[in-house]
Amino acid sequence: MSSDKNVSPPGDVGDPDRVALHARNVSFDWAELPRHWVPNDPFATQMINVLHLLLPEGERWFCHVFKQALPLIRDEQLAEDVRGFIGQEAMHAESHQGVLDHFDAHGLDTRPYVDQIAWLFGKVLGDRGYGGKQGQEWIIERVAIVAAIEHFTAFLGQWVLDAAELDRAGADATMLDLLRWHGAEEVEHRSVAYDLFLHLDGRYFRRVRTMAIAAPVFAWLWARGVRYLMAHDPTLDEKAKARWRDWLRTGKRGLTPSYRQFLRSLPPYFRAQYHPSQHGSTSQAIAYLAKSPAAQAAEHGS
Amino acid sequence: MTAPEKTGTTTSMAGHEQIPPDLYRRRRADRSYRMLGALITGYERLSRYSWRRRPPVVAVNRDLHLVVDEVRQQADEVVSLRLVHPRGHTLPAWQPGAHLDVVLPSGRMRQYSLCGDPTDRHSYRIAVRRLADGDGGSVEVHDTLQAGSGVTVRGPRNAFPFVTTERYLFLAGGIGITPILPMVRTAAARGVDWHFVYAGRSRESMPFLDEIAQLDPHRVWIRPDTHYGIPASGAELLEHAPEGATVYCCGPAPMITGVRLDLPASRAEALHFERFSAPPIVNGTPFHIDLAHSGHSLQVPADRSALSVIREHVPEVAYSCRQGFCGTCKTRVLAGEVEHRDHVLTDTERAENMMICVSRATSQHLKLDL
Repeated sequence: MSSDKNVSPPGDVGDPDRVALHARNVSFDWAELPRHWVPNDPFATQMINVLHLLLPEGERWFCHVFKQALPLIRDEQLAEDVRGFIGQEAMHAESHQGVLDHFDAHGLDTRPYVDQIAWLFGKVLGDRGYGGKQGQEWIIERVAIVAAIEHFTAFLGQWVLDAAELDRAGADATMLDLLRWHGAEEVEHRSVAYDLFLHLDGRYFRRVRTMAIAAPVFAWLWARGVRYLMAHDPTLDEKAKARWRDWLRTGKRGLTPSYRQFLRSLPPYFRAQYHPSQHGSTSQAIAYLAKSPAAQAAEHGS
Repeated sequence: MTAPEKTGTTTSMAGHEQIPPDLYRRRRADRSYRMLGALITGYERLSRYSWRRRPPVVAVNRDLHLVVDEVRQQADEVVSLRLVHPRGHTLPAWQPGAHLDVVLPSGRMRQYSLCGDPTDRHSYRIAVRRLADGDGGSVEVHDTLQAGSGVTVRGPRNAFPFVTTERYLFLAGGIGITPILPMVRTAAARGVDWHFVYAGRSRESMPFLDEIAQLDPHRVWIRPDTHYGIPASGAELLEHAPEGATVYCCGPAPMITGVRLDLPASRAEALHFERFSAPPIVNGTPFHIDLAHSGHSLQVPADRSALSVIREHVPEVAYSCRQGFCGTCKTRVLAGEVEHRDHVLTDTERAENMMICVSRATSQHLKLDL
């Protein structure tokens, strides 16, 4: 992740850091989506495709948790940020769901994997019928988990905004726009979940312990997803397998985030003075949103 | 099972024993998920004790109580107000495009773009055009605020962020100059390539012409309709765009629409514009809502949404886009007939739910699960 806090000359106001958030009513048409939208690279395609399987359930769960957190907030400006966050996440979930439905309609059955994700977020991490203190604690615990996951979504968002190699490889333009619109909004709202956690609890131990759970589970779910998609891709050989060395290759080429980038993104979260605004570029995100075909169409209510 | 909202959300601990099937050997339960479920459940049990030393949530009050330091007539029907802290304290920093929420003496809250100097940390400046047929906010500013008046403001917040780049075209229409002026000045100070088109009805109606006169005249086009006629198209305004420019536009809706339509054919590349709040309610009729849990009984006038009325009484009600597409404010309807105006609910969902941000009632009364 580029940690370029833009250096401004003295007397200059610098770049926008925090912006008022709003959801954008985007829509995408997948009718023309090639099976391997990173041309001739099934592995890179499927590695990124895992996001379409993980995110709809995951982001709906974010919304569900944050809606429950709203009554706990005693800072109107933060509540405003949280409301913007919820709307953006809801649109992310729906947009990735569109890709998922396209897969299901075109011979790539994602349901077994998605059912598992739904069980994880709906049951294991779902509401447990608690009230009072216990209920409040479970809301805050899950807010801390969302903050940990948002550290990665901000990292991924910045990565995809920077990923010029995907353009050079001729990746599908609509898919790139989905990923970059989503990535840009992740960068735009990257501080909200963390600020909410700071407001509701903020203790270091809780922050790092939720990350200690979230990071390995996230990595594990991703690896399983790649393996599943490679094994079920109807155009690939029966014995097609996801191999670690494929990831080394795509990471090195810049078609996917590399394992080194992933590992490097983690330690900052454990620093005492960590804040999401220290990483990623709001300006770059906003600049992308000002030319994203989907975001521009949405802004003008067409 | 799809969204968490749609499943039984009061699942007890025992509820997740239905481990999902293995991905490959579909007849058996997935072992890894069994372990993961057990792990997270154990973890959740431990986390229950986290409340013991958890600091209480501290209420944050961001209200700033400022005083009007100076009121200045900037053009016909336009005044600017300089706001300062009564004891001269430093004010929160802001960036071009930011606005303030201003609470007027009547309790009305209005948003005004900051149009002063962002490097001046001791005063804010806003400018307001008097709209006699508006909603009364601007008239109140003109008629009641004077030097020495106290006002409460919140913010600054930025919904029109100004991004650093090498080439800009700034387009302002009338009072839309307010967020644009600090942007133009910042771009000029940075020494990048910029052009600025300022349209208005007549020179007399256009504020800040004196300040704009101090900028490089080769980069500025003052364009009063009295001299040039009403802009025929966005293309006319975009003509001065540097190659690959980023356009910042604030003005009346037809101006923004025109610029948007003609942008692809111009030399400009990206468009930022000041976003207007939720569109006005069309063909609304008044109705009544009862909130089942909080017991409130509320009247929704023809020109307001159910959400805006409910919010006043239930501040924690969930919503986001306020335009009926994000799905956040979905609410169960316990009685009454809904006039659905959203773009997100399926017919099945509509049978029992409504989006309170846009939808209304065809019956006199609605009873909601809130």
